[in-house]
Amino acid sequence: MKYVVLGSSAAGVNGVRELRRLDADSEIVLISKDKEIYSRCILHQYLGGKRTMERLCFAEKDFETLYGITWFKERSCTHLKPEEKEVVLENGETVSYDKLLIATGSHTFVPPVKNLKEAKNVVGFRNIEDMEVLKDAAKHAKHIIVMGAGLVGLDCASGFLELGVKVTLVEMAGWLLSKQLDKRAAEAYQDAFAGRGVKQYYGVGIAEVTLDEENRITEAVLTDGTRLPCDFVVVTAGVRSNVEFLEGTGIELSRFGLVYDETGKTSDDNIYGAGDVSGSSPIWPVAVKEGIVAASNMAGVPRKMTDFFASKSTMNFLGIPSMSLGDVNLEGEDIEVEVKKTKDSYKKILHKNGKIVGAVLQGDLAYGGILQQLIARKIDVRRVKKPIFDIDYSDFFHMKENFEYYFEEE
Amino acid sequence: MYRIKIDRSRCIGCLTCVTACVVSHETESTDARNRVVIDSETRPAPIFCRHCERPECVYTCMTGAMKKNPQTGYVEYDKEQCASCYMCIMSCPYGILKYDSIRNVEIMKCNMCVHRTEDGSANPMCVEKCPMQAITLEEVRES
Ligand SMILES: Cc1cc2nc3c(=O)[nH]c(=O)nc-3n(C[C@H](O)[C@H](O)[C@H](O)COP(=O)(O)OP(=O)(O)OC[C@H]3O[C@@H](n4cnc5c(N)ncnc54)[C@H](O)[C@@H]3O)c2cc1C
Ligand code: SF4
Ligand code: SF4
Ligand code: SF4
Repeated sequence: MKYVVLGSSAAGVNGVRELRRLDADSEIVLISKDKEIYSRCILHQYLGGKRTMERLCFAEKDFETLYGITWFKERSCTHLKPEEKEVVLENGETVSYDKLLIATGSHTFVPPVKNLKEAKNVVGFRNIEDMEVLKDAAKHAKHIIVMGAGLVGLDCASGFLELGVKVTLVEMAGWLLSKQLDKRAAEAYQDAFAGRGVKQYYGVGIAEVTLDEENRITEAVLTDGTRLPCDFVVVTAGVRSNVEFLEGTGIELSRFGLVYDETGKTSDDNIYGAGDVSGSSPIWPVAVKEGIVAASNMAGVPRKMTDFFASKSTMNFLGIPSMSLGDVNLEGEDIEVEVKKTKDSYKKILHKNGKIVGAVLQGDLAYGGILQQLIARKIDVRRVKKPIFDIDYSDFFHMKENFEYYFEEE
Repeated sequence: MYRIKIDRSRCIGCLTCVTACVVSHETESTDARNRVVIDSETRPAPIFCRHCERPECVYTCMTGAMKKNPQTGYVEYDKEQCASCYMCIMSCPYGILKYDSIRNVEIMKCNMCVHRTEDGSANPMCVEKCPMQAITLEEVRES
């Protein structure tokens, strides 16, 4: 058996680990555009000079030898021949496989803003190469605009603050992290960023950018007509999956990305997929688990992805901790909202017919993990005779023979 | 591997294990890495890290700071590598994790008190101090 894995990030690395765990002898070839293994989620610390390249690595230092793999670094896959069971690399090389794992993730989406595509001083916030461009921009640019105040946009703004650079945030939604936070929790961050000199515009987008003769942005025009001086734009307004190399192969794609079932299998029996490449749940834990599940099935050990709860995130911008689960802005007659505020914390839990549907915790996240389970498993919490904010595992306590805990399926 | 067995029927909720945990780590932090909580029937429940076979905190850790040691089976935490992103706090299904209460940077993760032995084997101070033998260290098998 010969396994080929495309992509050396969350999904690919964990796929390799699982393949080797289950299959000690087979050949494993890893192919990636990336030349090193690094975590995209902490790139802002690299930008801010708080973390070296070495400490961006989330895998073992001797990954290749430890797992006995061949790794083609800095090699992009440009085409696939499912009939021949071969991947084609950009330099024309071909690599054959018996089972293939596609974990090529996604890339920055540049929205159709007038002149933006032509502009030179624009970059995304996704790859280590972007950080090198931004480190340079930090030295020269006076007016950096970050397009989008979501998790990635705020990572970017925080990284720049470490360098003493105050960016401007422009966000279409009414407040930052509008998918994750309610207005009140968002305001804590907005105030903190404002206090550090970060200008913010909400409820408006960038309508167009003005370019000079060399296609360099000199100004941004917002949808309400406001004109902002601008000499650099960072685009953090969404991603698109890396599936270009699959076009014309007949492998099923959706509007969002690669299509695969709960075992990770695509429309081709020998090809599996995992992670952001699906375009559906672009978060780290999903990429890791899908990588493990797909690899397990590739190695002949059946396993299914059961965790479909992906609207969850935590953040720690400017030292303010928050956790967001489910839908935190739901409204409706049967939605009950409970709020608990203290001097240092704000907690809100939304529930419907005894089931928690959303929660936001800010300032105090201690032991918050239980809430994710209650939401994901749709557990009725009415039998717990305690304030909803005090629910813990004691009322669900169950131990297996090997003393692991578990939840009784409702 | 070894896990801490919990016998709820013996637990009287005295919190000696919680104090023991603080003492065991007193040079690093002022917080406990375990907890004892009370259910709706006011029965105490010791909530201790299970060093899970499929650890959600490890799957979710974006820096590699949380790792399962393939030799011992223990889920280890490296505070130098940690980015204080709190993803693990959200992901532990049993609500076991939190950050330290002073600096909000370090995850309070049970280490089976391996720092108390020369050879890195477990030596839980909580187990040692429990007056009721409600928690005991037992060898278990992982699949
Ligand atoms: C700035 C930032 C912050 C984030 N913060 C968080 C967070 O706090 N929490 C969270 O849960 N998630 C976060 N995420 C999302 C998380 O990083 C992704 O979900 C995760 O990286 C997905 O992993 P992946 O392996 O599917 O793909 P990716 O990480 O996108 O990796 C894709 C891999 O495929 C390779 N590749 C791509 N195309 C090709 C090709 N044609 N040929 C060969 N190789 C190719 C790339 O080189 C790379 O190695 C963040 C993302 C970013 C960008
Ligand atoms: S084993 Fe040590 S670290 Fe773990 S709960 Fe007990 S005292 Fe705390
Ligand atoms: S912290 Fe939670 S998920 Fe992680 S090993 Fe311990 S019990 Fe398991
Ligand atoms: S807080 Fe630290 S240990 Fe926990 S998931 Fe984040 S980086 Fe990993």
